[in-house]
Parts: sequence; structure tokens; C-alpha cells
Amino acid sequence: MTRPLLAALITFLGVFFSSTCRADEVVPRLTVGTQEIGLLAGYLLPHRLTDKSTTKQSGPAFMPSWAMVLTDPAGPRWLRGQLMFGAEIVYIQFQEPVLTHGVGFAPKIKWLFEGTGRLRPYVEFAGGPFYTDLAGQIPEESSRFNFVLSAGGGLSWYVTSQLALNVGYRFLHISNAGTRYPNLGLNSSLPFGGFSFNF
Amino acid sequence: MNDPTSLRCLMLGGCLLVLATTTGCSRWIEMAAPNAAEERAVETIARAEQVPLILDRVRISRNGSPQNASSETEQRILGSLADIGLFSHLASATTSVESGEKIVRARLLFDEAIDPHAGATALKGIVIGASMYLLTPFLPLEYEYAAHLTLQLERWDGQIKQYESQSAGTARYHLFGATPIMIDELRGHVMETCLTELARQIVKDTTFFSASSAPMTESAIRTVSAKSRSPLKTPPMPSAIPVAAPAPTEP
Repeated sequence: MTRPLLAALITFLGVFFSSTCRADEVVPRLTVGTQEIGLLAGYLLPHRLTDKSTTKQSGPAFMPSWAMVLTDPAGPRWLRGQLMFGAEIVYIQFQEPVLTHGVGFAPKIKWLFEGTGRLRPYVEFAGGPFYTDLAGQIPEESSRFNFVLSAGGGLSWYVTSQLALNVGYRFLHISNAGTRYPNLGLNSSLPFGGFSFNF
Repeated sequence: MNDPTSLRCLMLGGCLLVLATTTGCSRWIEMAAPNAAEERAVETIARAEQVPLILDRVRISRNGSPQNASSETEQRILGSLADIGLFSHLASATTSVESGEKIVRARLLFDEAIDPHAGATALKGIVIGASMYLLTPFLPLEYEYAAHLTLQLERWDGQIKQYESQSAGTARYHLFGATPIMIDELRGHVMETCLTELARQIVKDTTFFSASSAPMTESAIRTVSAKSRSPLKTPPMPSAIPVAAPAPTEP
């Protein structure tokens, strides 16, 4: 599994850095109402935060997303940025401990820093319902209906004024909000990469 | 018995979804004050009475901070002034003017005020997200834009007239109705209202800007003064002037 992932990462970094060689200056023009669609892909890595957690869940994750710029640039100095709001579909294929799947829908909020114009860091938070058939097969989760919460950050590199490549990291938490017990929850790291398109 | 009920529920649900989606995509623009003069004021005067107008300077500020003047803004203002029909031709400051020609010089201050209601928008965004977008049709978002134009026109004899106009508008939209075009439309409407009002004021002073309204004054003629160069500190070397003396003739 690590070999295809490594190949994908090398390809992504190749595209990422070759785009930096372009001499022309690209400044994305993001105004109120600018829409963004994107696709992120990453690999789930487990975190067992309590003694009772035993599952080492892992597998690829895909997140097609939509977002919209809600504000003009605001904020002081290095915090200056724009608020984006949107939603994404989270699909995870759990390859460990059992081959199962999970799919969810999460509204998300994102603060896109102004950065250097072409390179723009961001932080984001997303949360929504998540359905997985992994539940019942592990001690941490008992119900198939869960919630997924994620928080993290990343970097957007604008290859053109509309197309951006993204890399980042998210911390992912899946649990059923106490609707059924046991509800220890699954915690994971999710490094990801992908692209987004503004229009 | 259950089938018709299910069908009715399905149809009702479908109608509600369509209504919610349609409402969630709606947007409209409200101007602070209705535009009294819908059409631009136009005044046609004799060709011989028209004088050129030079746009000397355009200053733009947004929420109090100076901005770079864009050629688009300049072109729009020039176009608006051209539509009045008072001036023979319009040009920017880079255009050369013949000395002694009657011209009107214009200076414009364009002050924009933008209030995107960022805090309220963020809060409503979070509420909409938390409701899984169900509250989208019920929470309108706002974007306010106001402009204040000050135009100074200086006649060839040095007399200055100042005109001012201001306008404001609000774009109200639901989350799915937001587009960058919406903001451009709002700015366009506000700017148009301001320019129309300015044109209306300028047209009232038609006689003031006609060529025969005032003669060229001496002060208005741009002259170049010249004076003799001051002597150098070090005396110049005397130049040797060759003198051809006639050769003595033999007696």
C-alpha cells in the first residue's frame, strides 16, 4: 500500500514544484461569492488516545468539496484573510482492521489567509453525519450512524489564478455523540493533497 | 390508502425542496435612495462653444485608505462626462494641450465605503452549516457599498466649480445566490447613480463652461519665462580671433 501512495506523493510534489518555475506572477482574485470546488485525497493513520482503544484503523480517504468566499479580506496583519464556507463529502475505505467503508457529509468553515498572494495557508473545521459499516466490528464503535469531526490546516498554491494545489493535515474524530454505548470513538491523522478550482 | 398519502407527502416534500432551493439562490439589490433622474442629463451646445476637458487627477480611497486609480474607473468617468455633450473632447492628464487653448481641468475624488458584514455573515454561515443548510432560505446575507464623488472643474480662467454626489446600496442574498457578479452589479448601480447626479449638476452650469462665457486671461496662459544665464565664476578663456593682416607690399 505504501508504494502507490509514495508514487502518488512524488507525482504530486513534482507537479507542485514544477509549477513554481513559472515566471509570471499569479494572484488569485477571490471576492465575495467566488465558488470553489475541489478534491482532496489522503491516507488515514490511527491514534489510540486511551488505554481502551485498540483498533488500528487505516485506509485511503477521498473528499470532494465545495466552498464559497463569504467575506472580503479582513483581519489584522498576518491574520488577514477571507472566510469561506462550504461542505464536503468524506469517503473513507477502512482497510484495517476489516475492509469496510464510511461515507459522510460535513459542512465546513475555512479561513484562507492572504499569505503571499500565490501561496495561501488556511485552517478549517468540518463536521457532519457519517455512516460506516465498521461499527459493530470494533470495540470503539457500536452504531453505524456516527458523526465525523475534522480540524486542520493546509497550504494552497495557486498554479493559475483559478487552479490551486493543496497539501495539508487534519485530525479526524469519528464517534456517535453518545447515542449508543460503547462510544470510545476513532481518532486519526489524515495527511492529504489535492486540487481546487475557483470560479 | 397509504399510497396516495405517500404520493402527497412526496409531492409536498418536492415542492418544499424546490421552494427552499429557489429561495436559497435568490438575491436582490436595494439602493439607499431611489434614483430620481433615471436618464442622464444631456445638453447639446454649439460646436464652437465646446471646449475640451482634461481629467487631471483621479483619487480613489476605500474605507479611508488610498487605492490605485484604475483605468476602468477613469474611462467610465470620462465616458459619463462625454455623454453630457458639453465638451468637445475628453482626455486624461497625459494629453498635451496647446498653449493658449481654452480647456476645463477636472479633478475627481472617489471615496468608497464597503461593509461586507463579515461578523454577521460568519455567524450566519455557522448557523446555516449547523442546520445542514436547512436554514439557508431563512437567513439572508448582506453586503453594503457606498460611494461619494467629488468633482472639481477648473475653467481656463482659473474659476473652480465643485460638484458632489453620493449613493449607497445593499446587496441582499441567500447563501447559494452569492456570486462575484452580484458585487459588481451593486457597485455598478451605485456608481451610475453618482455619475448621473454629477451630470445633472454639471448640466445646470452649461453656460459656465461654454467657450464664450469667459475670455482667456493672462494668468491662464502658460508661458515660459527665460532670463540670461548668469556669468560664470571663472572668466572664460579669451578666444583667439585670427586676424588676417594684409601682407606688406614691396615698394
